[in-house]
Amino acid sequence: MEDEALANDWLACHQCDALYVHPQLNDGQRAECGRCGATLFERKVNSIERTFALSVAGLILLIPAIMLPIMGITLAGQYQEASLLDAITQLIAKGYIMVATLVFMFTIAVPTVKLIGALYISYCFKCNKIKPFLLHFFRAYHQLDSWSMLNVFLLGIVVTMYKLLDDTELSIDSGLLAFVLLLISSTMVTVSLDQHYVWQKLEQECIDDNG
Amino acid sequence: MITAKKMGLSVCPACHKVNEMVSHQHKCRRCSHLFYQRKPNSLQYTLAWAIAALICFLPANIYPIMIVYSLGIPEESTILSGIGAFIDYGLYPIAVIIFTASIIVPLIKIMGLFFLVFKVQTGVRLKTEKHTKFYHVLGLLGPWSMLDVFVVALMVALVELGFVSTVEAGPAINYFTLTVLFTMIAARSFDPRLLWDEETELDIRQIDNTDADKNLVKIKE
Repeated sequence: MEDEALANDWLACHQCDALYVHPQLNDGQRAECGRCGATLFERKVNSIERTFALSVAGLILLIPAIMLPIMGITLAGQYQEASLLDAITQLIAKGYIMVATLVFMFTIAVPTVKLIGALYISYCFKCNKIKPFLLHFFRAYHQLDSWSMLNVFLLGIVVTMYKLLDDTELSIDSGLLAFVLLLISSTMVTVSLDQHYVWQKLEQECIDDNG
Repeated sequence: MITAKKMGLSVCPACHKVNEMVSHQHKCRRCSHLFYQRKPNSLQYTLAWAIAALICFLPANIYPIMIVYSLGIPEESTILSGIGAFIDYGLYPIAVIIFTASIIVPLIKIMGLFFLVFKVQTGVRLKTEKHTKFYHVLGLLGPWSMLDVFVVALMVALVELGFVSTVEAGPAINYFTLTVLFTMIAARSFDPRLLWDEETELDIRQIDNTDADKNLVKIKE
């Protein structure tokens, strides 16, 4: 147990491996590596409450953002609209299975799993139902971070609009609004969730459980 | 400079917990993630994925990414000719965005990773701080190359007006998606701490007195 207490006082930079004595921070402060400038950890204000509220908002917006048409075009009297889901089913229909799978992963699966994960973790923390398996759960949640591409898809929507602007009559649908709001709430979930705090709290609880 | 490696410690890549490294492969005490002190064969993996990405990048640019059928006549467009069309229309900002996302970013990522691997391998004029920042930027840029794939996916779903006008995806979209995927995996295989290991070794040879204040955490509001 002595070693454990010793290692709890250390903090190492994940980017350059510099070793520090764990500093004590107040709410809203941020610790930065003195060697390479990477953020070591932050103490975020009201992290759990904000994450809970934002992930609920994100999950409500999820279905409309995926199912509602994002935009429509009119050409020679014909009208055609498309949602995010249409884009993926069309790719499957045309035989581009691999591309469709990856687009599905990056724009639907990863953001959905991230929102549900954030909701579940913040719910468990709010109601003090911390279980050891959350350690594994939160580790898996961590791995998803760089694979969410909602922001890139939004830029894709803008570029598509410009592409179609000249030849067709373009109309914007309610799906776009839902999608932008989904992007905002999912980004804010990532920003507001204090990972350092979650890990420390989980560790405390689980050491208690084992002892 | 005191590093975790010197003290026989290592930080878990998944939960950033400092662990004592008793064996070569270690299971994190906090989150039970299996990891090593440094990613094993990091340079080889990075190089391999970057070369794979480069190989896929060629057909991605040669084959058409989109085929537009207007009144039954097919017109193929590659990534570059799509950018050319935007320039013809005078939409320069959009042309710049697509050019950056689908040509410059993948190339910079692949070349940048080659460059970083070369620097770590040879240790010639290694500017660790700058190179670490560069690596960080490469990681942030990665997903933006998917832009063209998303645009084509949306176009295929939207322009589906039978004989008048139909858009179909071309074979290049497969290769382009693979390029993006491979560059992202390549960037993840690289271990930035390798850049700093070289410097730590130099430090031992020439003891630096200015190091003392570097071993402090900066606290910002």
